[in-house]
Order: sequence, then C-alpha cells, then structure tokens
Amino acid sequence: MFRSPIRRRSDGTYRFQISTNERALVVEVMSDLRDRITTPDPTLERLFPPPYGDDTERNAGFAAIAGRELLDRRLAAIDLVLATADADRLTAEELEAWMRSINDARLVLGTRLGVDQAGSTPETSDQRTLGAYEYLGFLLELTVRALAD
Amino acid sequence: MSTAPVEIVEPETTEKTAVEGPWVVIVWDDPINLMSYVAFVFRKLFGYSKDEAERLMLQVHNEGKAVVSSGARDDAERDVFRLHEHGLWATMQQD
Repeated sequence: MFRSPIRRRSDGTYRFQISTNERALVVEVMSDLRDRITTPDPTLERLFPPPYGDDTERNAGFAAIAGRELLDRRLAAIDLVLATADADRLTAEELEAWMRSINDARLVLGTRLGVDQAGSTPETSDQRTLGAYEYLGFLLELTVRALAD
Repeated sequence: MSTAPVEIVEPETTEKTAVEGPWVVIVWDDPINLMSYVAFVFRKLFGYSKDEAERLMLQVHNEGKAVVSSGARDDAERDVFRLHEHGLWATMQQD
C-alpha cells in the first residue's frame, strides 16, 4: 500500500519525507519563481487575475490596494518554503506555505507550457519544465491530502 | 447540476448589502488547478463542509464557474483577495 511521505503526526505537525533530489528541484523552482515574480510578465497573469472583468478602472483600484499585499504574501510563502527546504518535519503553517507556493509555481509553469486542458500532458520540447510541472502536481496532491486528513 | 448557492458568509453584512446591492464572488474553471486543491481551499476559506466544498468544486469543473460567496462589496473583495492568494481564478460582480 502507498504510504504518503507527508503525514500528520499526533502532535499536529507533519512528517515531510521527500527525497534530496525532490527538495533540490523545489528549491530550484522556488528560487526561479522568486526572481521572476516581482517583474510583470504574461506568465504571471494567473497569480494576479483582474477581479472586475472588463471594468479596467475598478481592476486598477483593486490592484493598487491589494496588488502589493498579494505579492508580499507570495514572497513570504516562498521564503518559508526555501527556509524549510531541508526540514523533515513541518508545522501546519509551513506546510500551507508549501501548498500555496507549489500551486503558484504550477500556475506559472503550466502557463509557460500552454496547458489548456485539465489532465492532459501538453506537447512541449521543454521536458525539464514539464517534469517539474508534473512532479509539483504530485507533491501538491500529497500535501492537500495530508492537510485535509 | 443544481443551482449555485448564495451563502452569506458574514450575516452582519446584510444591512450594508441593502444599501449597496449584493455582490457575488465567482470562481472560474481553469485547466491547471487540481480538483482536490480547489475543494480544500473552499473548505479552508469559507468553512464549507467536505461535501459542500466538493459539490462547488465539481460545479466549477463541470459548468465552468460557481458562486462561492456573496455580500457587500468590501466582503466580496476580501474573499476575492483570499482566493487570489491561493491562486484561484476569482472575480466579483453585482448580482
């Protein structure tokens, strides 16, 4: 039977036992995301969607008030992931930062790969990005299962 | 599928909505977010039961969108912010 490497412990923290290679991949992806996320780019669209549809004035107002805070929270979560990249035990708060940052990275990588159909593998020559995208999907699934347990 | 639920997340907003008109927060389907993740975020942010969160997630998946909360404009913006923080594609509009 499959035994998940991410499991809730009786003290409320989480066992977090992914491999050294997997941790290295996460660090690489998160460092890259951290470098890119502060510079406006089409692949970041999914992280900051306009809330008011076609109403550009209200969208700009929302971005002016919430945009910086959204970015700061994303950076704080990424930093928490990088700070706990080698940990084999995470608090719920840390694991939730992993969850949100992994999802952010999937949104950016998926947009870069042109993912347009749920569950299908995009055609790409960029096997490295595809591999990272698929691994992060697996890791996110395990993370959500552990947190929802 | 049944119709979208209109859940008042914060009952004390009723007075304000009478003045402003209610806003609804809509989550849209996208090909990247995992179904399990979306359902978990609905539970976490809005306190929905596992079944209700699952039902809303499936509504997003099958119908392309679902209303996940409603209320005064400030409350809707706060919900949109939290959904964006979690990477969900959320918009708001006056009902």
